[in-house]
Amino acid sequence: MIHSLTSSTDSLYVTPKSWLQKLHIDGWLLLGLVLLLSTSLLTVFSASGGDWHTTQQHGFRILFALGLMLAVAQISPSNLALITPWAFLIGLLMLVAVLLFGDMGKGAQRWLDFGFVRFQPSELMKLALPMMVAWLFAYSDFPAPASRFIMGLVIVAVTASLIVVQPDLGTSILIAMSGLFVIFFAGLPWKIIIGALAALAVSMPIAWNFMHAYQKQRVLTFMNPESDPLGSGYHIIQSKIAIGSGGIDGKGFMGSTQAHLEFLPESTTDFIFSVFAEEFGLIGVAVLLSLYSFVLIRGLMIAYFAQNNFSRLVAGSFTMTLFIYITVNIGMVSGLLPVVGLPLPLVSYGGSSMVTLMISFGILMSIHTHKKMLTD
Amino acid sequence: MNNLTFDETQSRIRQKAMFTNRLLFAGLIVFAVFCLFMARMAYLQWFNHEEYLGLSEGNRISVEPLAPERGKIYDRNGVILVDNQPVYSLSFMRESIYDIDYTINAIQELLPSIRPETLAQFKTRLKRTPRHRAIILPYTLDESEAARFAVNSYRFSGIALNARLKRVYTQNKSAVHLLGYVGRISQQDNLSIDRSRYRGTDIVGKTGIEHFYEDKLQGYPGLQRIETNAQGRTIRSLETIPPTSGENLTLTIDIRLQKYLENLFEGRRGAAVAIDPENGEILAFVSSPMYNPNLFVDGISHTNYNSLLHDRNKPLINRASRGQYPPGSTTKPFIGLGALEQGFTTMSESIFDPGYFEYQNRRYRNWRRDGHGWADLKRSIVESVDTYYYKLSLDMGIDSIHDILAPFGFGSQTGVDIPGEANGILPSQAWKMATYGKAWFRGETIISSIGQGFNLATPLQLAKAASILANRGRIINPHALKGQSHESPEQIPIKNREHWEYIIDAMTDAVHTPRGTAWSSGRHITGYKIAGKTGTAQVFSLNDGEYNEEELDKRLHDHSLFIGFGPVTRPKIAISVIVENAGGGSRVAAPLALQAMNHYIKELQ
Repeated sequence: MIHSLTSSTDSLYVTPKSWLQKLHIDGWLLLGLVLLLSTSLLTVFSASGGDWHTTQQHGFRILFALGLMLAVAQISPSNLALITPWAFLIGLLMLVAVLLFGDMGKGAQRWLDFGFVRFQPSELMKLALPMMVAWLFAYSDFPAPASRFIMGLVIVAVTASLIVVQPDLGTSILIAMSGLFVIFFAGLPWKIIIGALAALAVSMPIAWNFMHAYQKQRVLTFMNPESDPLGSGYHIIQSKIAIGSGGIDGKGFMGSTQAHLEFLPESTTDFIFSVFAEEFGLIGVAVLLSLYSFVLIRGLMIAYFAQNNFSRLVAGSFTMTLFIYITVNIGMVSGLLPVVGLPLPLVSYGGSSMVTLMISFGILMSIHTHKKMLTD
Repeated sequence: MNNLTFDETQSRIRQKAMFTNRLLFAGLIVFAVFCLFMARMAYLQWFNHEEYLGLSEGNRISVEPLAPERGKIYDRNGVILVDNQPVYSLSFMRESIYDIDYTINAIQELLPSIRPETLAQFKTRLKRTPRHRAIILPYTLDESEAARFAVNSYRFSGIALNARLKRVYTQNKSAVHLLGYVGRISQQDNLSIDRSRYRGTDIVGKTGIEHFYEDKLQGYPGLQRIETNAQGRTIRSLETIPPTSGENLTLTIDIRLQKYLENLFEGRRGAAVAIDPENGEILAFVSSPMYNPNLFVDGISHTNYNSLLHDRNKPLINRASRGQYPPGSTTKPFIGLGALEQGFTTMSESIFDPGYFEYQNRRYRNWRRDGHGWADLKRSIVESVDTYYYKLSLDMGIDSIHDILAPFGFGSQTGVDIPGEANGILPSQAWKMATYGKAWFRGETIISSIGQGFNLATPLQLAKAASILANRGRIINPHALKGQSHESPEQIPIKNREHWEYIIDAMTDAVHTPRGTAWSSGRHITGYKIAGKTGTAQVFSLNDGEYNEEELDKRLHDHSLFIGFGPVTRPKIAISVIVENAGGGSRVAAPLALQAMNHYIKELQ
């Protein structure tokens, strides 16, 4: 089992090791991340109205997350594969625990309080679920038997259901997507993918009936934000005003009147893109999207060069999950998608999602830098 | 890797190819979505930039008008008559109120003098109000209540204490018909005012001085450009142009004399105007009954307004400048003077009064049934001999009488700085033709000669006429605002100065000699002399029937009139008094006027 996991055709290529590789750091990915995190630090400073305390906290968290990323990068993909089923099992148990004794926060049970730390099990699942699904396919023949796909779908469905009842629709969709990406990269036939998408479109009206009133409201508001300009449509309208008023070159650093005058809600978290777009304009947005593209392309390259099935599925899924994050957030604040309450990855102020993302980059780095060691 | 079979290797190659395809597909999706985002951003930030910039500016900057303080009004001695006092109200922002029921209860506890109904109604309104809009509790807090709220304000998020200046008529009812009042700007007001001067203000002068000097009293609003946040809370002020306060006005009236006269009118209907004949300054301007202008400031209630409107005594009417009364015998000195000057009579000529005058088979009665016997012009004034004027007027004709009375201001507006002045009526042949299309009858001249018939005058006109007489023909224009030059030093041409002194002597005798019609009250005046003339204006004429007060409705009783000035040698005050349905002038109007003048000359000078 371990044998087949570590064997790879890629190990034929041997290149001299640089100091970055010895530290299991991918220089390109690190460059992209550092640039994005610097942007984040500046934007959080501005969006918080120049609040040093907030910015400092954010800075410390970034440093912590970078450190964590580097630490995780030291763990070889084979060891990660070893702990994956256990991590997933623990995650699953904690999700059940949340339902039974979870803390209430903003009307939803999402946290487990261990006394010394409050932990959100869904964060663990963001990593554990795609890895678990990848683990399923790691030892399979190609093409994988239907039973593997079915098992993968069941795992995704169970996990997503446990999160959606917390209720946390946004995270639930995101986690489901990360699992589905693995299944997609594992070679789920196109016929089934297209068929499933068609079935999904048909089942939308049924799903509608199971949605919470506030979720329905969000969708309705998305369809026509101006229908409730002072209620749930307010955020979208103000966000569009922020973005649009930025123009081509923006209002300048610290120049976001929409955020500083409290028209934008959650300006340091969910709506930080609007602040950024208001201050740095279309040019700034182009630069930010370029940075994201750079990281995404690097992620896809790591997946392409990965040595085994587990690694490439995990790398592909993590990269595309980052993409979904970006898409949902920017789509939401620019009025293209309903408001679901997800932060802008790597830029928004906020702890757990940043840490989770950086761990996933650590895993990407591990995948990319451990190949050569296997050839020694 | 040598341990891989061929099939295994083939399978791995196919798998890698499939994976590469899917990666490329994913990359394409990423590319497509990012292109979509750039297109969306270009749409928002490039093509619709102007619109959104406008919206964001609208969010951010609001221009708030700063209302100017309205000018205050003082009397001639600097006593404040109209003031602005800070009053407080509470505005509620529904969005920031956590529990409406709890909040309303807490407010009730803190400010127990708010009526529970008011609060209950307000609560319903509050619950229906859009979340972002502030609404104001319809209750005015006094200073101590405001202080109590301020101390407890930490308990009430979403409730703000607002201060504004409220117009306060410090003398309450006193001088209301002169001062007027302010009220909410109505649709009608909007047509006559420059709306831009009333930004931040919702009151405007409605009547009286408040209306006439609106342009002076209303200042110019300032403005404040402020940055606000989404809750409409002020973040900082960007620019402030301070308002320009309205001009403070000092009036010519003496509030002490005003109140003294008003007290004398207590329980009566009528009017009095006192003027300083020297310069036309109005010293008192009384119309009775009065009402409290403070009722109108914040908008008068229907109940209050209806009770004022339907009051039988019509307190809302400004009798002093709008009330038109037959001047009665008060015209006698003027006609007598004109007759002397124009040679229709002499100072020595006498007529015999049997108690009536006959013309074309009609008897025109004298007020004294048994007649005065032989009477000259002086006696005709002292004792108010009607018959003298009946005869004289036939010699003169209505047009001569008109021409004599016109320069004294009868029949035309005085031009006083109080709105809504009536014209009065000074008839002439031309006037009757123009008004009724009919020729003048000589019989009408006879009743005109004693200020009856068509003749109507306002108390203000009578006071002006008395002032001109006191000035020996120098015309003054009555006015209520001090410090303005209203003078047009016109003079009624004098042929013989003795004629004027003769008439004034006669009026002095009317007050100071036992036969005089004003003797009963005039005898109490010592140290100086007052000239006066009583009048009785018939409201209802019973042609040949017997005049019986008891049988007549009180409303049909004669009006009691008096005009006068004093001291005769150097007049300080001229006055006209009309008391409605009070009977003969000597009975009510004369004592009232003389008492007021005596008080003014002796106590207030």
